Amino acid sequence: MRTYPVEIAGVRRELPVVPVGEDVAVALLNLLGDTELTEAVADEMARRLPEGAQVLVTPEVKAVPLAHALSVRTGLPYVVARKTAKPYMRNPVTREVVSITTGKPQLLVLDGADVDKIRGKKVVIVDDVVSTGSTLKGLRELIESVGGEVVGVLAVFTEGNPRDDVIALGHLPLFKPEE
Amino acid sequence: MTTLETYPITVGNVTRHVPLVETLPGMRIPLIEFLGDTELVEEAARLLKERVPEEAEMLFSLECSPVPLVHRLAQLTELPYVVARKRRRAYMEDPLIQEVPSLTLGASDTLWLDRRWAERIMNRKVALVMDVVSSGGTMKALDRLVQRAGGKVVGRLAVFQQGKREFDGEVDYLYEIPIL
Repeated sequence: MRTYPVEIAGVRRELPVVPVGEDVAVALLNLLGDTELTEAVADEMARRLPEGAQVLVTPEVKAVPLAHALSVRTGLPYVVARKTAKPYMRNPVTREVVSITTGKPQLLVLDGADVDKIRGKKVVIVDDVVSTGSTLKGLRELIESVGGEVVGVLAVFTEGNPRDDVIALGHLPLFKPEE
Repeated sequence: MTTLETYPITVGNVTRHVPLVETLPGMRIPLIEFLGDTELVEEAARLLKERVPEEAEMLFSLECSPVPLVHRLAQLTELPYVVARKRRRAYMEDPLIQEVPSLTLGASDTLWLDRRWAERIMNRKVALVMDVVSSGGTMKALDRLVQRAGGKVVGRLAVFQQGKREFDGEVDYLYEIPIL
């Protein structure tokens, strides 16, 4: 199996390189199930937390353990933007984003109860990998539409093109699928 | 505008007044949310740690609401954990696919476990971890996934048992919550 070596916050991993389409493969970061890496990343992110942050917002689901660990360290609450509306949600707010890599539409949903935690607050977005930025753009719009102010974005990695609007602990290239 | 009725839920030293939601006409349940509640998750993990069987070598759960709980429990017990997904991901290779048995027609879920993760379960003694168990169908699906991956279930843990369990398999839970 092809892998790509990374060192993040002092922890080394060999990330599997997996195809995600006809023309592209990615190094697969999975914080789900990797307690050691998640905790190390949270330590590092806590040090880089943008000034004035009042609440963390994370998309479902791979960055959820990280958001929890960062919340424990910073004392800030976190909100999870879900990918489907749930029947129990009250007045959910939704945004549709189209993934540039897959071309598929993706929903981002905030429960009305969580909207109250974001309105009028300085928000930091927490994600595992920011690639094309389509999820990030959707999250920003969603947060701003309910009256939150995005004061920073924390990610483990940026991927593909480097970007200066994200505080990342590392960068991943894109790969060609194996012949 | 009606005032939302709430119900008090206590985990250790943490109490939450959670909304009562009507899931079926005339049937109301307290809506417990672990996602986004750092304090509740920390307390639940601390208490659930005592219930993890000595022989367990791994924890197994599913996305999405039990994820912070199983992460924290894994950290406290120093055991690895694996999470089954509710959607197929593009990168999954030869995944195990498991229907969640359900009592209500047409409301069934499917769990996906990437082969890479299934391999970690093989020959391991596994404790299943959930936040809230109701009919037990989801727990049953986790159970079957572990068996199919070649592991052995040595414990079924949950923070809450809500109502009556319909599927077999003993669950070790911390608290019962009613259906009102």
